[in-house]
Amino acid sequence: MKLSPANYAAIALTVAGAIVMSALNWSGRPVSVATVGSMLVVGVTLGSIYAVSASGLVVVYTTTGVFNFAQGAMGMYWAFVYWELRFNRNWPAPIAIGLVVLVMAPLGGVVLDRLVMRRLRGTPLVLQLMVTVGLMLGFMGLAATQWKGDRGRNAQPFFGRSGGFELLGVNVTWHRFTTICVAVLLAVLLRLLLHRSRIGVAMRAVVDSRSLTSLTGANPEIISGLAWALGSSLAAVAGILIAPESGLVVELLTLVVVDAFAAAAVGRLQSLPLTFLGAMVLGIGQQFMRSFLDFPGGFSNADRALPTILLFVVVLALPQAKLHVRGTASAASARIRRVTPLSDAALGGLALIVVVVSWSGGLVPFVDEWTGTGVNRGVTMMITAIIMLSLVPLTGWAGQVNFAPLAFAGFGAVMFLKVAGDSGQAWGLLMAALLTAPVGALMALPAVRLQGLYLALASMAFARGFELLFFTQSSVIDSGAGERIASLHFAGWQLDGRGRGYLIFLTVVFAAGVVGLIALKRSRYGRRWMAIHDSEAAAATLGISLVETKVIVFGISAAIAGFGGALFGIQQATLNPSQFTLLLGLPIVLLLVVGGVAYPAAALFGGVNTILFIVIKERLGWSWLSALEILGPGLMAVAMVVNTRGAVTDMGRAFSPLLPWRQDAREQLRLGHASSREDEIGELGLDRPFTRDHVNDLDKHLGIVDLIPATPSAESRGGL
Amino acid sequence: MTPMLELRDLRAGYGGIDVLHGIDLTIASGEVVALLGPNGAGKTTALATISGQISPSGGTVSLMGHNVNGVRPDRLARAGVCLVPEGRGVFPNLTVRENLIMSTYTGVSISSIEERAYELFPRLGDRRGQTAGTLSGGEQQMLAMSRAMTTDPALLLLDELSMGLAPMIVAELYERVGELAQKGLSILIVEQFAQAVLGVADRAVVMVNGEIRTVGAPADISRQLAEAYLGG
Repeated sequence: MKLSPANYAAIALTVAGAIVMSALNWSGRPVSVATVGSMLVVGVTLGSIYAVSASGLVVVYTTTGVFNFAQGAMGMYWAFVYWELRFNRNWPAPIAIGLVVLVMAPLGGVVLDRLVMRRLRGTPLVLQLMVTVGLMLGFMGLAATQWKGDRGRNAQPFFGRSGGFELLGVNVTWHRFTTICVAVLLAVLLRLLLHRSRIGVAMRAVVDSRSLTSLTGANPEIISGLAWALGSSLAAVAGILIAPESGLVVELLTLVVVDAFAAAAVGRLQSLPLTFLGAMVLGIGQQFMRSFLDFPGGFSNADRALPTILLFVVVLALPQAKLHVRGTASAASARIRRVTPLSDAALGGLALIVVVVSWSGGLVPFVDEWTGTGVNRGVTMMITAIIMLSLVPLTGWAGQVNFAPLAFAGFGAVMFLKVAGDSGQAWGLLMAALLTAPVGALMALPAVRLQGLYLALASMAFARGFELLFFTQSSVIDSGAGERIASLHFAGWQLDGRGRGYLIFLTVVFAAGVVGLIALKRSRYGRRWMAIHDSEAAAATLGISLVETKVIVFGISAAIAGFGGALFGIQQATLNPSQFTLLLGLPIVLLLVVGGVAYPAAALFGGVNTILFIVIKERLGWSWLSALEILGPGLMAVAMVVNTRGAVTDMGRAFSPLLPWRQDAREQLRLGHASSREDEIGELGLDRPFTRDHVNDLDKHLGIVDLIPATPSAESRGGL
Repeated sequence: MTPMLELRDLRAGYGGIDVLHGIDLTIASGEVVALLGPNGAGKTTALATISGQISPSGGTVSLMGHNVNGVRPDRLARAGVCLVPEGRGVFPNLTVRENLIMSTYTGVSISSIEERAYELFPRLGDRRGQTAGTLSGGEQQMLAMSRAMTTDPALLLLDELSMGLAPMIVAELYERVGELAQKGLSILIVEQFAQAVLGVADRAVVMVNGEIRTVGAPADISRQLAEAYLGG
């Protein structure tokens, strides 16, 4: 790895920061052979856990070209399956391990490759990211459905909790010793497999070029299947080893591997030895913080936030290594989009307001009876839609991936609480938006350097950092103090956060937001955003400042999310840190992308779906659907491999021709029908005569009125 | 005698649109044929169809008298059809040695491949631990060619060997192709109008718009091309 002076400066700055942070928070505990030794032993164990998890990520990325956000969730799922066999059904450990690691997990990997991953080839990176994040939620939902609740399931460590041996005054249990051995063994074996064995080399070769791989005589389909089988097995090994340490809890087990992203980033997603080093730095660093540092109240989570901080720093400071993945460019797919006129947006907004006013006034029969929902559900739907709307300009138009919309929303909610929480004055909403915008601009700084996967990782780190370090501060959200947010005071009205007036207010805000965004899209700023989405290099050569453009779009996006967050605060009346976690934010991103991230209407689609899953779960009351609100968005995101355009696009295509003023949509529909006849028309005119009958037939399908009568000479030529 | 390769009324293309409009071509065992033509003539499509990457929409591809329409490219490669694709036919993230390891899927041992490759192109031996993406264009083409030269294929398909390379490198590569031809290998070489290829070919075929326009001796074709370009 070649480092530039800027890289060295960043590393030096990070080390200096770490030293200053340590000095400021030094606990004063004695530094002796025993305490340091104990820290090292526990730190190395922790590092080994990260190493096992991260090496799975690296192996999957190097052998498939896909960064598998679902790796942790897969490991969690296989850990549950192991628990089921080993402890619930009392199978002997070797058989349970063998069955899960060597049979079920590899088979699961192959199925995943067949059903999902194959269809991801050659698709834009954003889609790959969303589908794997969708898989992550899917596996979490599946596990929560199969094994309900955290009912004190105990995954016992191997060889029991008590045994082990003494090292530097610390008892190293056999389970931990096994974890360390497995981590070292895997690092060595995987390195040998990927660089010394033919099948390992072939797995990497497939990522370079599938077609060339087949020309050498290897079957790329089988090799890809094997790579996913291996990845799934590694996830299972990690899950089974980690479960006794972290507890058999869906979220916890998944997040351990999310924490291991930092170690994989140190290895630049490719190098196993560097990944191992990163994992050890992470493990020992965390244990050092626990052993020798004391953080004041709100920062008590600092040790848990270390992986996030490390990920953020590494992604920003180290040069990015990218696989030369052919055919999976991050460029947007070919887009032929109609730019919505303002009048259409305004009309749509008006229609929405009419529908919501009628529904909330009880004028729409059956809806309330069936959904069993009060106005409050509508409020939740509309607030979610507004937060989703924040991602439309950012991800849909400017192509900047962001998994942290809920962090911005949370910041906005806190700002509203601080500036107008007591009075509920409407100007507080604007202040919340304005104060959140700079936080978005801050997020734009990494975005100036990063694209695609690395930006996604940075935004995840950002969201997790906010979750662990910001919202936990008592000066930010003091859950115990019972701070309440008052009802909204707007133009002389007092709108209760769960009432009909508030819902109508939100709908008007959403409609106005859509119109405003469409106006922005049609402005020079909107064109710049789309230009940087299509090609940053080309945009830069046209004189567009990437820094300025990204800062503005991140700022606007954060302001909208912050506004939405403040509205959420009014609905909830009280805030607590668990409302703004990274995991809760993921369905928001996914459901928007499923709708079609470039369309403001997709935000409404996403909002409706958020509520729909809850309503379906309640109405059906089937116990096996208990995790539908995670499983649903996850599976919908995975289904995008079949329909990459987004649901709103198809709905628009189907309904817009019905609108009297949409002559263009009807024309498009007719052209669509005509192009579906291409096969039938075939090589007409090139290899067989193109007669008058054909002209009439074609005109009929295209709806063209023949104004020029055919001349006999044209017919006699028998072709064009 | 059964020809090594026989194309009969071959039609193929992309997305339902044919690029090849009925190609007839035969290559005898041990024959070297140059397939020439301008951009978009369908030369690369013809090679992709013969190597199994594209299924024909009509007609047949026969190898040693066996119809191989629809046979997967990896099976054809193991059966002895070796395509060196245009551009650089190497795996950029793999080292030189790892690129050679990939050739062992044809059934030849790595030790034999390495020995022959480094003997033919000593420069590759010096760079065996270097990733292929960091090699020069000529070295990458040598690496791609070494797959063809060390795995004893029955039919060699070379696509635009000279593209983007210095004349000296091109001359060296064609020298190697000449050596292969002398050993009796059947070779189909695609080039735009490079004269170098005519030096090693037994027969030349000119393709335009997906159809074969002219077939003849390399010297005659060379003269015709000169006339077409220079108006002589």
